[in-house]
Amino acid sequence: MPPQLLIARNFRSNALKNTAVYLLILFIGILITYAVITSWSGFVKQNETTAHHQAETRHDWLDNPDKHPHRMAHYGNFAFRPKAPLSIFDSGMESFFGNTIFLEAHKQNSVNFSEAGFSTGMLRFGEISVAMVLQILLPLLLFFIGFTSIAAERENGTLKIILTQGISWKQLITGKIIGLAQIAMGVFIPVMLVTFVLWFFLQDGHITSDETVRLLLVFLSYGIYLLLFCVIAVLVSAASRTSKSALVSLIGLWLMLTIVLPRASQALGSYLYPAPVKVTFLANIEKDVLKEGDSHNPDDIHYKALKDSLLTTYGVDSTSQLPFNYSGFVMAEGEKISARIYNSHFDKLLRVYDDQNSFLKATAFLDPFVAIKNLSMSLAGTDYRTYTDFQKQAEAYRYAMAQKMNELQIKYISNKKPGPNEKPVVIDQKHWEEVPEFEYVQPMVNTVFEHETTSFFALLFWIGLLYFMIEILSKKLKVN
Amino acid sequence: MFKLAFKNFLSSSGVKIGIAFLIITGLVSLIVGNQFLAKQAENVEATAAYQKAHISKNVQYHPDELGLLLYYVKFSLVNQTERINSLSIGQRDVNPSIQSVTIRGLEGQKYDADLQNPSNLLLGNIDFSFVLIYLFPLFIIAFTYNIISEERESGTWKIAAVQSSNLFGLILKLFTVRFLVVVFTLFLTLFLATTFLKIPLNTRFWLFSGVSFLYILFWFALSFWVASMSKSSSYNAVTLLSAWILLIIVLPAMVNSYLVSAYPVPEAMETTVKQRNGYHEKWDMDKKATIDKFYTHYPQFKTFGYPKEDFNWLWYYAMQQMGDDEAAGESKALREKLAMRNRASTRIASFIPSVHMQIQLNEIAGSGLSNQLRFMDETGRFHEQLRLQFYPAIFKESPASSQQWEKFEIENFSDNNMTSATSAALPLVVAILLFSVLGWVRFRTMVS
Repeated sequence: MPPQLLIARNFRSNALKNTAVYLLILFIGILITYAVITSWSGFVKQNETTAHHQAETRHDWLDNPDKHPHRMAHYGNFAFRPKAPLSIFDSGMESFFGNTIFLEAHKQNSVNFSEAGFSTGMLRFGEISVAMVLQILLPLLLFFIGFTSIAAERENGTLKIILTQGISWKQLITGKIIGLAQIAMGVFIPVMLVTFVLWFFLQDGHITSDETVRLLLVFLSYGIYLLLFCVIAVLVSAASRTSKSALVSLIGLWLMLTIVLPRASQALGSYLYPAPVKVTFLANIEKDVLKEGDSHNPDDIHYKALKDSLLTTYGVDSTSQLPFNYSGFVMAEGEKISARIYNSHFDKLLRVYDDQNSFLKATAFLDPFVAIKNLSMSLAGTDYRTYTDFQKQAEAYRYAMAQKMNELQIKYISNKKPGPNEKPVVIDQKHWEEVPEFEYVQPMVNTVFEHETTSFFALLFWIGLLYFMIEILSKKLKVN
Repeated sequence: MFKLAFKNFLSSSGVKIGIAFLIITGLVSLIVGNQFLAKQAENVEATAAYQKAHISKNVQYHPDELGLLLYYVKFSLVNQTERINSLSIGQRDVNPSIQSVTIRGLEGQKYDADLQNPSNLLLGNIDFSFVLIYLFPLFIIAFTYNIISEERESGTWKIAAVQSSNLFGLILKLFTVRFLVVVFTLFLTLFLATTFLKIPLNTRFWLFSGVSFLYILFWFALSFWVASMSKSSSYNAVTLLSAWILLIIVLPAMVNSYLVSAYPVPEAMETTVKQRNGYHEKWDMDKKATIDKFYTHYPQFKTFGYPKEDFNWLWYYAMQQMGDDEAAGESKALREKLAMRNRASTRIASFIPSVHMQIQLNEIAGSGLSNQLRFMDETGRFHEQLRLQFYPAIFKESPASSQQWEKFEIENFSDNNMTSATSAALPLVVAILLFSVLGWVRFRTMVS
């Protein structure tokens, strides 16, 4: 057996002699069980409610009697946001996302009812999930086990004996890393198996290749992440004079990586790139829409030109002589303009948010915790990208619905306004099914590669950096 | 003797760095708070300007039809931001501090979310409450975990024990020195806050400072108790850090997920759907039935009778009213569910000092869920008052000029509700007494 593996075995069995380690592992096990149970029931409940309301409102929509299509455009539809299967593993930003959006003509409503809006201050301490345990608590456990790895040998003089027996520093360090990694994997692999089983059953066996790729990447990236912490623990222990100083450095490091740095870099980003307040955002859109054309203003240049060109084309002298519904035509034009302007402002807002988040993203090169956090949320479909994707799909649906109703109005509604006591014009209810049901489609995993390249590279960078550190320290370390 | 102990403690470079770190993050938190206040002020200013321009534009567009004009016009109510809010931003970054509503159905408007970057919300603010709740305890742990154990490990404790006639007094002195330094740092930061952020020195501020002081004392009491068990420095460090993780990361997260599953809010979606249907279905129903229901709600308007026109604004606003009336049950249930959540979390928090602190600081600063609920209630009253004010004029078909539009500026809601000093302080005092007595008893038996 190569000496590294002997060292590894020795380290592992020594560490596992400590009952405190078992207690901590047991504690982590209980936490994970709790996390799994609550996120499982949350997932089932939310997706049931979502599906129930989505079906109910679809039924309501189809159930509408004959009416004017523009009434229908205001009756509108709802989009309810379903949870992604891997949200049982990493709840990410889920709690801060709205769940319900009302979709109607002319108006882009906000996505309402986020869990955070219903929360007391408690949510802000963070949420419990399998990912949180793996990202925050397991590394700390590895530090607690690993801080003595080499420093203790130095303290009680055994280090000298080991090194005089012909074992090199590099062998010693890699041996200890392997031993610690074995303990890490002993916790990690069962956790992933449980995740796999839950994930499998939550999808009723209808597993897509996309979801599988996501899960595999989760497995791989967390494996790497935990290994990085094993290496850090052993290297810090090797560089410390006493176990106590190793422990204090590791605890300080852990706090910096998991608590201080992520918050500080995000705070810096949002400080440097202030986002507009809602009233300004909406007022700017309104201003731009009016600049382009105000359908309420009889003297508006844009709509006047539109009217004149229609009158010339059809060779008539008033809009009521046109062979189609003129006000439907104007509304379709208005919808087109306002939707385009809204989308461009919304994209601009998203770019401000991207700028705010850019500091945190770059911090991944200083802090592997940030790399895994961003990557994991993205793979689990609980990151901001997935959410904006939902918002965009809902907006696209809203636009198509509004334009469909305008189209029906243009086609079927008489151009002549009914008199005050005539029956209002309506169209047959059979048209309602021409608007398809809203169905949210999860983005494909390749979007993760697009948006999280930084995080991928940061993990690779960390592998390289720590490998390099092992090489350097192996040459430079002294016995005392 | 005390002077020497101070000198000893402060001579360590680690201590100096620690104190400097606390002061610097404290200052950063004040800058964050200042930016928050500026943003709130900007929001109010922009809303006031917008409302003015928005009203005059709409009055110009729809001079003759008050019903149509009020279909468009939005009126804003501002949940006033106390200066002290900047020290504990709480839920104010999630929930909008301004509600802008038309006199149409309220249930379709009052839950409208604010614009926000979820990454900011997820990672949280570096406000003063973060520095106090998360970071101060870490440095208290760092300054105290090895007070006696280190001397015992290096063998100097025996000498001290032999030389000192009052060993327990010596222990107390070592703790007191550290406590005074940390408390000085706390009050220095709060003092800077009052000048930099212009926080008035009112009851809110003193209560805020008082509970902050107790929180610091709590961590010292905990550390005192751990030290009394005379274990090794490493053991103390791990124990105290575990307590920190339990109180700051694990327990709050567990309690939060318990609250979410124990008090789910399906009422939210139901309210919205009910409101939409309650209003829209009326378009296809008998007008008289709708107006009759409206008159049951508001008998004072019965004199307006049943207008003959195919479309009229009385009927329209009666339909809108039906949306609210039919969703009233769900809306009330939602409101009650949230109040239950708030009560449950306050109750549970009294056993977890860190969470208790966050909730109480939010309460004192007016940035918690209860403030949000009161603001929502006030929005309801504000909206109702607007309706009652405009309904007669709309039904009479008065022109837009019948109203004094310049009177309609944004309105303010100032939340005067505040937690009692007892409920804020008591749980902390109990925890402090518990750990100091436990520690005291142990030390006494050890020393004697």
